[in-house]
Amino acid sequence: MRCLVIEDEAETSNYICKGLREAGYVVTAAGNGPDGLDYATSEEWDIIILDRMLPGRIDGLSIVDKLRALGKQTPVIIVSALTTIDARVTGLRGGADDYLSKPFAFSELLARVEALLRRSAPGADSTQLQVADLRLDLRTLRVTRGAKVITLQPREYRLLEYLMRNENQVVTRTMLLESVWDYHFDPQTNVIDVQISRLRAKVDKDFPVMLIHTLRGVGYRMGVMPPEEPEPPVV
Amino acid sequence: MSRFSNPLRTSIVAKLVLGYGLLGIASIVAVSAVFYSGTIGVIDQNIDGKIRAQTERLLDKLGDGSRAALKAEVHRLLTDGVDNDREIFELLDEDGMAIAGNLGSWPSVADAPDLVTATVLRYGRSAPARLYLRPLVQGGVLIVGRDLSEEEAVREVIWRALLAGACVSLMLTIAGAMLFRRTIEARLGEIRRTAAQIEAGDLSQRIPVTGNDEFALLNRDINRMLDRIELLMEGIRNVSNAIAHDLRTPLSRIRGRLDDALRHEPTVPRLSSAAHDAIDDIDDLIRLFERLLQIAEAESGMRARLFERLDLGRVVADIGEMYEATAEDSGITLTVDAPASLYVDGDRNLLASAVASLLDNAIKYAGRGAVIHVRAGLYQGEASMSVHDNGPGIPDAERGKVTQRFYRVDKSRHLPGNGLGLSIVSATAKAHAGTLVLEDGGPGLVARIVLPLAVN
Repeated sequence: MRCLVIEDEAETSNYICKGLREAGYVVTAAGNGPDGLDYATSEEWDIIILDRMLPGRIDGLSIVDKLRALGKQTPVIIVSALTTIDARVTGLRGGADDYLSKPFAFSELLARVEALLRRSAPGADSTQLQVADLRLDLRTLRVTRGAKVITLQPREYRLLEYLMRNENQVVTRTMLLESVWDYHFDPQTNVIDVQISRLRAKVDKDFPVMLIHTLRGVGYRMGVMPPEEPEPPVV
Repeated sequence: MSRFSNPLRTSIVAKLVLGYGLLGIASIVAVSAVFYSGTIGVIDQNIDGKIRAQTERLLDKLGDGSRAALKAEVHRLLTDGVDNDREIFELLDEDGMAIAGNLGSWPSVADAPDLVTATVLRYGRSAPARLYLRPLVQGGVLIVGRDLSEEEAVREVIWRALLAGACVSLMLTIAGAMLFRRTIEARLGEIRRTAAQIEAGDLSQRIPVTGNDEFALLNRDINRMLDRIELLMEGIRNVSNAIAHDLRTPLSRIRGRLDDALRHEPTVPRLSSAAHDAIDDIDDLIRLFERLLQIAEAESGMRARLFERLDLGRVVADIGEMYEATAEDSGITLTVDAPASLYVDGDRNLLASAVASLLDNAIKYAGRGAVIHVRAGLYQGEASMSVHDNGPGIPDAERGKVTQRFYRVDKSRHLPGNGLGLSIVSATAKAHAGTLVLEDGGPGLVARIVLPLAVN
């Protein structure tokens, strides 16, 4: 996967590039607006990570603008210290696909990058999702694990669907809040954790293999994990 | 004092005083002119009219009679005992020599074709007179006139009275203007003195308010503004102190943990665990700042242009459902009563965050076994979302303070939190032109956000 990082602050840029390279991406970095625009428009990228405020008269929003004007649908994530909802709305309305406030955990950025890449990839639109022996029939809304039928509340059903669609991928709490509940705010308490543990009680309890895993400080991952849980990326 | 030593042309007070002074003088002049023309002017006109009428009457009466008849008539008029002390008659021949009359001297006929005012000799005494010199068909001139001595005396009396009146009025105007100026400057002085004290750092100073005049109203307005500024400054001071205090604790905790991890044998698990703990703490700090920014953003009121029409009932139902499991885990019964179609204009995420915050508080403070009702509905004609718990509530005295940033009720200090939740909810309500109302739930607390309904 080819990834372009446009970020003027060297340390943040290194932090992002290093993390992405470790995750297996081919990364190119640009340190100012004009270079960023050059790279973004002259080559093909799988994803662009973009700082909003850049030196050199061309800011992040105008890069997205030019890119979209050229008809390029490259997924773009804006990372910015402008954290207000106002700024976020302007960024997303300006054509970005996601907006991440600085400072951020690299794991959050990576999870969002992966989610975006999956979204832009042509998805297999089957009527049935399956993770190990857990099955979800999208037409009948029937959930089974092995031979057991699992009854879920509507919200639990959507939560499970989102996790299954992102099998083996890291999913953060905010991503769940945004995609399952469609709200963008930071709940003070662990409401999402409680919802997940409810779901887990129905899906994983009484079964030898755990499917919903908590990644400390990051979020969740659904799938069959090797017995030794891998260390989450240390930042 | 140097404060008021401004040159006259820059002082509005001096300009006003000067303006009123000039206006006063102008009105004195106008009144005097009207009075003068109403008295002396009328007298003068009367005299002229009388002289003309008398002349015409005399000539008409005699028709084209001879000079001798005219002479006899002049004699008769001068001796008839009617108004004789003021009448003037003089008949001259073609050469300008006196034929009959009571004048010793008269102006030349050529100089004065019509009515003239001149000094004449009458019975050997010099006197001002108004004269009509009328040439006769049969030759010679008839002079008819009036001695003006008496009118002149009246004119002088009136002039003197007018002058005296003008002097008194002028003095009164000047005195009034000075008094006026001193009063205004005294009132302005109060404002300026207070401003100087505030500028010097004493924000508690207020302008004295006396009476109920325009200055009193202005001073009251300024004082109210100062109250607000003082409150805001106090708020900023409190917030800075609270930030300094609230940050010190987590920062020293982070520092301690990292320090501890490095002082002992640095094993991978130890370092990794310390790093994780540090990141958790730093995330909390970031969240704290985010929330402070959120308050500032909501309070600045810049959001309204991003508002959309939304169903408050839907938001309350969503968030209520989101918290149901959490409440249940805490042994709390949560009931959600949120009918759909309660439309307001607002920011969906901010409002959701506000309900979440109120629910958070209720679950945290009401305690195990409590019952919480979250409702959306109409309240006194407006849209309302309320969270009612049957927990300990907030003491009356503290209810007003809990919306201040970082304020925490003493009993709750052992619970996690930073005292920002209700500040954010309150700021959010304000940003939506609504209010956060905290009421005694008898028992417990009712936290209610009241918002204006959307208009079609």
